Amino acid sequence: MAPSNELPGNIFFYLIIVGFSAFFLLTIAARLLPFLKAKGAPCLDQLPQRVGDFMLVMIGQSKFFRRKYWYSGILHPLIFWGFLVLLIRSLNMLFSGVADPLSLEHLPGGIFDFYKPVMDLFNVLVMVGIAMGAYERFFVKPPRMTLNLDAWRILGLIFFLMVTDILANSFELNLEGESKEAFSFVAYGVSNIWSGMNLSHDATGMLHATFWYAHLIILFGFLCYLPYSKHSHVLTVAFNVFFRNRERSGVLRPINIEAMMENAEEGATFGVGKVTDFNWKALLDFMTCTECGRCQSNCPAYLTDKELSPKEIEHHGRMTLLSTTPTIASLMKGKPSPNGDHLNLVETMGFESIWDCVTCGSCMYWCPVCIEHVPEIIDVRRYLVMDEARMPETAQATLMQIEQRGHPWRGTQFGRSDWMQGLDVPLFDGSQEYLLWVGCSGSLSERNVPITQALARLLLQAGVSFGVLGEEEPCCGDPARRLGNEYLFQMQAQQAIEIMKSKGVKKIVTACPHGYNTMRNEYPQFDGKFEVMHHTELLDQLLREGKLQPKVGLAETIVYHDSCYLARHNEIESAPRRILESLPQAKIAEMERSRKTTFCCGAGGGHMWVEESRGRHINHARTEEAMATGAQIVATACPFCIQMFEDGIPALEPDEEKRMRAMDVAELLDAAIGTAPTVKPATAGEGEGVPAST
Amino acid sequence: MPLHIIACVKQVPDPEAPASAFRVDEAAKKVVAAAGVTPVISQFDALAVEAALRIKDAAGDAKITVISLGPETARDVVKHSLAMGADEGVLLTDSAFDGDSYTTALALSKAIEKIGDYNLVLCGRQATDWDAGVVGYGIAEMLGIPSVSLAKSVTVQGDKVVVERVLMEGYDTIEAPLPALVTVSNELGEPRYPKLQQIMMAARKQVTIWGAGDLGLDASKVGAGAVRLNLERLFQPVSEVECEIVEGETPDEIATKLAQRLREQKII
Ligand SMILES: Cc1cc2nc3c(=O)[nH]c(=O)nc-3n(C[C@H](O)[C@H](O)[C@H](O)COP(=O)(O)OP(=O)(O)OC[C@H]3O[C@@H](n4cnc5c(N)ncnc54)[C@H](O)[C@@H]3O)c2cc1C
Ligand code: SF4
Ligand code: SF4
Repeated sequence: MAPSNELPGNIFFYLIIVGFSAFFLLTIAARLLPFLKAKGAPCLDQLPQRVGDFMLVMIGQSKFFRRKYWYSGILHPLIFWGFLVLLIRSLNMLFSGVADPLSLEHLPGGIFDFYKPVMDLFNVLVMVGIAMGAYERFFVKPPRMTLNLDAWRILGLIFFLMVTDILANSFELNLEGESKEAFSFVAYGVSNIWSGMNLSHDATGMLHATFWYAHLIILFGFLCYLPYSKHSHVLTVAFNVFFRNRERSGVLRPINIEAMMENAEEGATFGVGKVTDFNWKALLDFMTCTECGRCQSNCPAYLTDKELSPKEIEHHGRMTLLSTTPTIASLMKGKPSPNGDHLNLVETMGFESIWDCVTCGSCMYWCPVCIEHVPEIIDVRRYLVMDEARMPETAQATLMQIEQRGHPWRGTQFGRSDWMQGLDVPLFDGSQEYLLWVGCSGSLSERNVPITQALARLLLQAGVSFGVLGEEEPCCGDPARRLGNEYLFQMQAQQAIEIMKSKGVKKIVTACPHGYNTMRNEYPQFDGKFEVMHHTELLDQLLREGKLQPKVGLAETIVYHDSCYLARHNEIESAPRRILESLPQAKIAEMERSRKTTFCCGAGGGHMWVEESRGRHINHARTEEAMATGAQIVATACPFCIQMFEDGIPALEPDEEKRMRAMDVAELLDAAIGTAPTVKPATAGEGEGVPAST
Repeated sequence: MPLHIIACVKQVPDPEAPASAFRVDEAAKKVVAAAGVTPVISQFDALAVEAALRIKDAAGDAKITVISLGPETARDVVKHSLAMGADEGVLLTDSAFDGDSYTTALALSKAIEKIGDYNLVLCGRQATDWDAGVVGYGIAEMLGIPSVSLAKSVTVQGDKVVVERVLMEGYDTIEAPLPALVTVSNELGEPRYPKLQQIMMAARKQVTIWGAGDLGLDASKVGAGAVRLNLERLFQPVSEVECEIVEGETPDEIATKLAQRLREQKII
């Protein structure tokens, strides 16, 4: 029997339920309005994987089990799983509160009884979790967290939910005097205290009703408070995890520029300048962020004292969204929204922050609730570039350079086929198996030319059937896309796809992780479907097939630096390591931040060409980590990473003798194969250029 | 009536292309650019358009017309200027226009007269291919208007133009009555980046095309027959370098030996 089964208890019961529910539903209705008006986002593709992913990340709490945050890895799952387990008891409270026959106690076979020990156990575990949370917030105070009263309210509410649950159950046991003690073991223990006090039946009934209602009120109060708390993730996280982008984290989605031009109304924008221009999934992200700060404390920009904090991006997104969202009060007055419609995201999030991001994806990897920062930041960049033409000078120069010359390497003295001098590399004509995509850096940037040559020698040596596009190779478009010029990117991507299709390209191998990511994951958006391999994957395969046999010893210690676009965005971590392991006599060292937790070299997201004007240099921070391993060689597999090390090493080690060397995995393998002819590096044209007349 | 500014923009082969991408054809007296060298807007001319846009921004209203003389492909630089924010574009294209700096100035001045009603003409300080730096002043001479060179800032105040003119150290401030011609230097700053909306709008805009006939000219006035500059020979100078390393135990000894060698050669 519940206290609400009779008059006047049932009046209370229904007043509480109806009152709180009405408030809650009104809040949610108001909050949903901007979602209904927002742009769509694909959210139901790959359903089976979504379900599996949901079970793992949401139910299994997999993103919490990471060594770096082991403490939260214990406390959060305890509270979350307790929440799930005890949800049944709360539901039963409502069922039995309406009418006793609805109570789960009446389930056949008394199966509910067997569930009681589990619930009681979690009563305790949740309190342990809360104590851990309180300890962390009161004593440890991790700098990543936003510490405020809000969290204490939430912890307190959950704590009292547990307390009232146990107390109500304990008095119920005494009241009913049934022989079910064995099941609710915690409540039974507590009920013994009351038994010892010889309370009257009426007093016991009163106390039971008091805690029963207290639990009910706290439960509904908690529900109503949640949307106003930064812990609203309790309500949204399930949706956020289920509807997350299923693509790899390095992928940006296209915008339909032509369609937008056709239906261009006054004030329509290509990028996102106002929070209401985001798609609904981004809005859900803003409402889901718990401000735990994991993203921030793993962000290379934040860690080197830039303006950017991905946590703040989400926070400002949320505040801006809330300022345009109706409240219950404003709805009652018939005003659609309080005041924030005019708010420009660039002002709230900060111009510098938007440009500081190197799109390394570390934030997305660490976020426990699957928030997608990078596409949001790039959406605002798109606005700045395409709608407002506001960007750092060096970003503008880079985009102009790409527009005018079709590649980002301003002032290069190389042509696209100069690196081929002295090498017998055929042009791709459709008869070869692979297209070797050299990339702008691979042919036009001085440090990368010998890497391209080493790779070509290895492929020739292994008898791989391949060809190149030579002068016809365009830019893949990655820098333009990540610098926010989606229009320029789409033109370049279409051009590249057209050329490759016309030549009958099926398989591509490239030494550039950025080109790899763009061609493999983003070209399908424009109907360009190719099988794309990174050079480390193909070289690893050739080694395993015995087509390449390293002979020359290299008695040095090598530390491998994972490129963000290889390891984190595209899960290529083992192939480059296997190549290094195949080098005779070489010793391999690892940095603390490696594989998926790698730290950006500083050049992603178009930042290879954008001046880093604030804080420490990201590449110096990473070079320090590599040097700290004591390795003589830092191995990379990305044309940008290697340049960032080449720049960072002399800056940190003045003594030339002691300097670590930066080398591409392909160069190391090429040296170990030992059959490489000495090829003169491609030389730029000599003499002063005479300008031509038109 | 709002201000009317005319900017002259030239298309040049990318001056940043590597030197190896160019070849001198001595017989034809031409420089041949490799296929990969893209034609671009001459750097200072983009700045002339930028200067015009800044005047327009400050005035709130002004009309900007860009003119380019060159082959059909020069339409791209007109479009680029339109995307930056210019209002109208004119392309002077005709095989009869193939002349020198003098004939180019003549054709451009005739086109400016045909457009009429202008207050200000802006040019780059020099085209970034031959770097001659004469066409702008030629136009001013032919139109009979004052000209001011090497501007780092151009503002219109009432019926005069105020120019900050770059000097070796610092700058002059010069005023001239309108209409006038000003050539713009790189000290002006960076040309603006076109917004996508404007690129799209520029793509739809019509570019007016005039041939020699439209300007009342013919090949005898602007073509090869009218040129005042004769190119005698076009060649790449061959420089021979001989390197001799002066050795010695101490810097003093090396310097003394070096001085002796230089004196022997009658250099010092
Ligand atoms: C665009 C531009 C404009 C300039 N305009 C001027 C100007 O108007 N007036 C002016 O005074 N300067 C000007 N300079 C600077 C000038 O060109 C030189 O940089 C400066 O004179 C160098 O003098 P230095 O004593 O430092 O000699 P260094 O730079 O040390 O060397 C000067 C010369 O000594 C000789 N030399 C040095 N070491 C060796 C060696 N190991 N073997 C053989 N020969 C050697 C070489 O001939 C070398 O060029 C300009 C520079 C630039 C880039
Ligand atoms: S992508 Fe990298 S740089 Fe950008 S916000 Fe995330 S962690 Fe920071
Ligand atoms: S975005 Fe994710 S990782 Fe960053 S503070 Fe919010 S919840 Fe934490």
